[in-house]
Parts: sequence; structure tokens; C-alpha cells
Amino acid sequence: MSLSKKELSILIEVVYSIVFTLIFLPYFYENQEKNLILIDGLVGKIIQITISSIIYFSLAYALLEVTFKKKEARDERDDMINSKSYKLGYLLYEFSLFIFIGYVYSKFQNKELLNLTGNQELYNSFQLTDGGVVFFILVLLAFTSIIKSLYQFYLYRTV
Amino acid sequence: MILKNNLKEVRQKKGLTQEELGTNVGVSRQTIISIERYRYKPTLELAMKIAQNLNIKIEKLFYFAD
Repeated sequence: MSLSKKELSILIEVVYSIVFTLIFLPYFYENQEKNLILIDGLVGKIIQITISSIIYFSLAYALLEVTFKKKEARDERDDMINSKSYKLGYLLYEFSLFIFIGYVYSKFQNKELLNLTGNQELYNSFQLTDGGVVFFILVLLAFTSIIKSLYQFYLYRTV
Repeated sequence: MILKNNLKEVRQKKGLTQEELGTNVGVSRQTIISIERYRYKPTLELAMKIAQNLNIKIEKLFYFAD
């Protein structure tokens, strides 16, 4: 299976999203019960994510440019594929926002119900924390990004 | 009705490669391949550019088939 420069460029994004999900999301998962200010080494983790992203993309795109020296023209087919995949991404993003609102609402709703039972421990476990919100948003963004890029790749292979 | 074309035959008759035709009309080789395989329907602008470049009437190049 021979891949074009554009297809490889999409795969670079997919690999990044998957690697980011596997390496960095567990950190946010472990800290989802905490408030952002209380998360250990958060600034360090953000710097680590930024630097590793810059290094990854610089190396990947430099390698791509070396492998495919010829510049590929961007044309109407690219625009069509991009508009279709970004439309799907946008719809997923909108859908994710509804899920997010539902998540926040259910936290409040359940918290109020648990308050009536008088079980303090269970009541405390339903706290809506900054860390939890950040983790949830990152999961949704990673999911949306991976699906959008995979659909874009699929369109490049089939259209 | 399906929009079909004679692009591959006409291009080969003119002795052009997919890459050359793509460069002439400002699109990638993949786009020419997709049009030839009926996977992608070009816009009117691109269809006219291709017809003009191959020196053929657009209705001879693109046609509807049942």
C-alpha cells in the first residue's frame, strides 16, 4: 500500500493523538479528583507535553519533507475532503459538548440527591473538580480528533 | 444516471501522464486518478480546464450514463 504525502501527514496526526492519549491522559485520569492548583507537577507536565509535541511534529514533518521532496498541489478535492472531515469533527465536537453538559449536570443532580441520604463519603465523591473537567474535555478532544483524522484518511483512500 | 468520462482514453491519446495533466490544470495526480476512476466528480471549472487542456469539447469528455 503506497501512501501519498497528504495521507502520511494525516497518519502523523493520528499517531500523535493516540500516543498523547496513551501517555498523557493517564496522568490527568489519576488527578481527576483534585483541583488544578493541587495537581502535582501540572506545570511540568504541560511543558513536557508542549516540548514533546514540538519535537514530534518537527521530526515527523522534516522526515516527510525529505522523503517527498516534490511539493503536492492543494486542490478542490483536498478542499472537499477537508470540509467533509471537519464537518464530522464539528458535529462530534458539538455532540461532545452535550455529553459534557450532561456530565456536569448529573454531577450536581446526583450530589443533591446524595445529600438527602446523609452519606457524607458518597456525597464527597461526587465533587465536580477542575481536574475532572480537564480530564473529561481532553478525552472528548482526543476522541474527536482521532475520529476526524481517521475519516479524513478514509476519504483520501476512497475518493 | 452516473457521470462518467473518457478522460483516461483522451489523455493517453494526447500522450500525457496523469502527473503532467494534473500540473497543467493545477491539481494533484491523485485528483486525476480519482476522476478517471469516477470516484470524484470535478467542479465545472476543473472539468472545463481539463477539456480545454486536452483540446476537446467538455460534453465529449464528460457524459451521463445509465
